[in-house]
Amino acid sequence: MEIFAYFDTGHEFPEEIVMAAGFSPVKILGNVHVGTAVADEYLFSYFCPFARGCLAEALGNAQNWVGIGFAHGCDATNRHFDVWKAHVGKTPFFWVNTPMKVDTTAKGFYGKELRRFIQTLNKQYQIEIKDEKLKDAIRLSNEAKSLMKQLASMRTEKDISNSDYFEMTRKAVQTPKESLVADLKAMLADWKSRDPFPAEKVPILLTGSDVTFVEWMELLDIADFRVVRDDLSLGERYFTATIPEMADPIEALVAYACSIPQPATRMPSDSRMEFLVKVLDETKIDAVVSQNMKFCEPYALDAVWSVAAIRQKGYDVIHLERDYTPATDRQLLTRLEAFKEIIQQKGGSRNA
Amino acid sequence: MRIYNNLKIWIISFGTKHVVKLFILAPSTFFEICEVVMLSVSLDIGSITTKIAVLDCKSLLGTDVSLTSYNVEKAWQDIFRKTLGRMCLKESVVDRIVSTGYGRSSVGIANKTITEIKCHAEGARFFLPTTRSVIDIGGQDSKFIRIGNDGNVMDFLMNDKCAAGTGRFLEVMARALELDIADFGKLSLLAKKPSPISSMCTVFAESEVISLISRGESRENIIAGIHESIANRMLSMVGGSGFVKPVVLTGGVAKNIGIRNALEKKLNIQIQVPDTAQVNGAIGAAILAQKI
Repeated sequence: MEIFAYFDTGHEFPEEIVMAAGFSPVKILGNVHVGTAVADEYLFSYFCPFARGCLAEALGNAQNWVGIGFAHGCDATNRHFDVWKAHVGKTPFFWVNTPMKVDTTAKGFYGKELRRFIQTLNKQYQIEIKDEKLKDAIRLSNEAKSLMKQLASMRTEKDISNSDYFEMTRKAVQTPKESLVADLKAMLADWKSRDPFPAEKVPILLTGSDVTFVEWMELLDIADFRVVRDDLSLGERYFTATIPEMADPIEALVAYACSIPQPATRMPSDSRMEFLVKVLDETKIDAVVSQNMKFCEPYALDAVWSVAAIRQKGYDVIHLERDYTPATDRQLLTRLEAFKEIIQQKGGSRNA
Repeated sequence: MRIYNNLKIWIISFGTKHVVKLFILAPSTFFEICEVVMLSVSLDIGSITTKIAVLDCKSLLGTDVSLTSYNVEKAWQDIFRKTLGRMCLKESVVDRIVSTGYGRSSVGIANKTITEIKCHAEGARFFLPTTRSVIDIGGQDSKFIRIGNDGNVMDFLMNDKCAAGTGRFLEVMARALELDIADFGKLSLLAKKPSPISSMCTVFAESEVISLISRGESRENIIAGIHESIANRMLSMVGGSGFVKPVVLTGGVAKNIGIRNALEKKLNIQIQVPDTAQVNGAIGAAILAQKI
């Protein structure tokens, strides 16, 4: 199946439409080991390194992709679309303008935008995306999301490393959905047989910028923190809800987009906080790790109030700024370990 | 039987676990067995220097400092052997070893690694038990540590991965001014009017210092300005209301009287500086080793 790559700084891109078009949607995540040098020719080094990493990946691989989709994630992605169009080969580009809000006007706008996207794909590839195909794609997508939700819920009970969890979420956006479902089922059997949650690990909620490379999750493992809940797009935002199976699949996608937890790129921020509070209320966690990648402005803007709000709920929270590098960051490790020492000397959390 | 510490304390080794401390009570050969004590050693491997502290359950027996250099393992092994050798102690009499600092995980013989944040808090309380705030300025980072009424670390802040406001920052400035860093403190006291350094970035600040030199600004004023910029950075990191008294300044940079003065002026608080400021983290680690 041909790959239709997409650049999405959150979980905004409607993968199901691409699946219904007969392509395999693959989220561009960049390659932190390759670096951003190729992209730095077109983007200054003080821009988001993740976005530069994605551009570097596109510059190297676009010839293997049937198309490149962009979803409006953070505002900077609007301008990235133009930069990519100017420099990334002849691969067809598509823009999906996702709304900032979730009110009635936004829903109407988004429905029209999704229909426009379908028409553009039909015209570009001389195909016809029918409702039935879209419904099939939604069913398949929902099967994967349900399995992911089951897997993620095991983090509180079983010995599931942060790296294992990351690998599951990465696969979800980079593997054809048919084989993904089989992989997730095998993973479920494996995770069920794992040892219980290790006593020495500190269960945490992870919030902030999307973590797009496994090494950062490994850093949390080294510091003995275990992510048992999160609100990341490459995480719970992706599978916390399924797409309603409605008569009109477009309306179903609109309803889905408006029902999932909102990221820091969307407004108002209340719904993002509501999700964090819900997570804190329903899961036993000892602390919250908030982080933003350097130059990731939406989360940096969000951090002060969100950290304060979490503290007000009585939780220990640390906020970290991290780099786009696979190298073990000793200073961040020191901060994390010192944070763990504080939590341990208190004898655990308010929930303990 | 070994003699060390100005011949006031004698140590006899019993196996590998404990030592018996004997005090000379009179010029005669009369000894009194005081108590069974635990001997702990700490290694604080910083980016510039490696520190060691040797402690029994009641007193600090010795400390030392050496350059870390590029070979971290060699650095701690050398200072460990040298210090124990100087004190006529065998490795087998050491009960507990705790490592701290950025190179803490490289100490294979350590019973435990503890972060420098907790160690500095403990070390500051050894110097002043009522300490509530610690400012630690080391080679590659600066920290603010808040201590609760119970003596535990409540919260901490660290600089981002940036040399501004650290020992490295001062080293770069000393090089630009062609001065020995050890002279910074006393020279800053001679400043008539500190020259403001507006750049937070070490590289840009160095350029700024070079510009000030070329304009004929005095070294004393420039150094005082550099110290003020470090104080400003600490203030912006913590915020004025974050400092709860008593405040203790630790780390190698604490030896610089100009930094202490600039911080006291900027924060409008009195700051205590232990004589052992540079080895404060190591002392804290050795105390914590006693509690393992």
